[in-house]
Amino acid sequence: MKSPRTLTLSTVFASDPFEPGPKGSRAWYKLRQDKAGLFGLAIVAIFLVLTLGVFFGWLGQGWSVAGGGRWEPVSVDHWLGTNLLGQDIFQRAVFSLRTAFEIGLVVSLLSTLLGALLGVLAGWYNGEPGRTWVDGGILWFMGVLDSIPFYLFVAAVAYALQGWPWAMHIAMVATFWTTTGRLIRAEAMRIKSREFVLSARAIGLPTRLILLRHVLPNTLHILLVQATIAFVAAIKTEVILSFLGLGVQDSVSWGLMLAESTQEVLAGHFNNFLAASLMLFMLLLGFNLLADALQDAFDPRQASL
Amino acid sequence: MLRKIIHGLALILGVTFISFLLMVWFGPDQTYTLIGKHATASQIAEVRHQLGYDQPFTRRYLDYLVELFTLDLGASNSSGEQVSSILKRTLPISLALMLPGFIIGNLLGIVLGLVAAFRRGTWIDRLITGLSVTGMSISFLIIIIALQVLLSTPYGFNLFPVRGWRVDNLSSYLTYVTVPTLSLIMVTLGYNTRFYRAVFVEESSREHIRTARAFGASPATLMGRHVLKNSLVAVSTRIMFSIPLVVVSGSLLIETYFGIPGIGKVSFDAITSGDQPILKAVVGLTAVMFVLIQIVADFVYRLVDPRIA
Repeated sequence: MKSPRTLTLSTVFASDPFEPGPKGSRAWYKLRQDKAGLFGLAIVAIFLVLTLGVFFGWLGQGWSVAGGGRWEPVSVDHWLGTNLLGQDIFQRAVFSLRTAFEIGLVVSLLSTLLGALLGVLAGWYNGEPGRTWVDGGILWFMGVLDSIPFYLFVAAVAYALQGWPWAMHIAMVATFWTTTGRLIRAEAMRIKSREFVLSARAIGLPTRLILLRHVLPNTLHILLVQATIAFVAAIKTEVILSFLGLGVQDSVSWGLMLAESTQEVLAGHFNNFLAASLMLFMLLLGFNLLADALQDAFDPRQASL
Repeated sequence: MLRKIIHGLALILGVTFISFLLMVWFGPDQTYTLIGKHATASQIAEVRHQLGYDQPFTRRYLDYLVELFTLDLGASNSSGEQVSSILKRTLPISLALMLPGFIIGNLLGIVLGLVAAFRRGTWIDRLITGLSVTGMSISFLIIIIALQVLLSTPYGFNLFPVRGWRVDNLSSYLTYVTVPTLSLIMVTLGYNTRFYRAVFVEESSREHIRTARAFGASPATLMGRHVLKNSLVAVSTRIMFSIPLVVVSGSLLIETYFGIPGIGKVSFDAITSGDQPILKAVVGLTAVMFVLIQIVADFVYRLVDPRIA
């Protein structure tokens, strides 16, 4: 067992594949060894390509056309049959990819960004004479947001911003950033006492630059993992919000398809349910496996295994 | 202790302020649902006065804090029933609905986590972690629908009622609670197992565990007396702090889906209809519950870990 930062011959000659030097290449090496992680990456990549197809208008464009009869079975025209209104289930399931990626990307990017900024500020001002109130204030704010029952909060935001399609995104960003914020705060407190930060302060570099150039870049591995986790959480939350009638409007999503199917399954029509569940499950599985693999790859405690 | 109480008060102030702003100030206006279409200006003014809409923001917020601390929660706008009696009626239902799944889900998670941590790296560990990731990737809604079709409809085994809550004795309780409980266990088990496995792996890689193993301690003593006992702080933290959210947030979806008149459904209906006294009570009391748990947590930590003084 040795710490990953010990300078050994093999870190100097980083070409040795079993002990690569810099954090990034070591993580990439470990990621390539992780079969489950690669499987997850492959799923995410395939779904991403399909999403681009939807985005550029090549796939799933007929999602709202009621071109068939009610609950038609699987056929050449309708690959997965039709729903109550005669809409094509396959087209709807594929078009929902775009909705899912849109929600996932927006929510995970914004909540990770917010968590990174507030977390770094809190961690930096922790124990700083005269400025601890910054840390205290941010901690208090996180505690407050974590203590409001989540679905009530989201429902209230959706109601307060009624009819505005971004209400759901705002509500998720407002609650998801706290987890990232706490992790980044802890990491920033650790980094703050390291030599390179101490010397940056000693030469009088402005705080803003120290945070942006030296502290934040060293938390990137946490941010990457947290962004994947937030992506999964956003898509799962969308499903529940859409079922409650607070989610996606004027579009289609797996959540809306599942909400439709709650009535259909009682009448014995399972196509909508199966199509939406399978797509949703595969995408979430892909991201979960990827998140695990990233976590393992960046975990400094496992670096010497 | 004093610090705890000050922190607690700050937390309650924050939670009540944000939720007041969102749910009451920007929330639905009930004036017209209460008096109908053809109302005179004076009637409108009277109803708005009764609902307190004509008061300034600070006044209404301060009134809310006073109501919360004197536990004088007022009456529902829609039904006129006292909020305290609504809570007394719905809270036991939510607890009866959620507790079995919550307890079994955590116990199973602890057992599976211990097994996986003890057999770290073997096929059992890989199986358990693989199943947890699979479980984490299935949406709550999918699990509920699938279990409902499988257990409560003619397309499956048709053993339980599809929805509802008509409970008057033990056997009717068991028929109505089974499907929701199974759903809750399946939803939480993946997350629980992963969390507990990580805690136990961390603990079992410590030196004293290696020493105990070297002295020939049996697997049961090792995991039970050394690993589990030393992880009790992390385990009890997770369990205690998930109680308020399980009761309110977790029950909201299950109760809405199965049409069960518990606290989650009542508060969700209150949001969409703008029944502010109920919302104010639920959110305020949840915040109070969090603060109480933080205070109780200190005692629990001292109980399970004598090193914390």
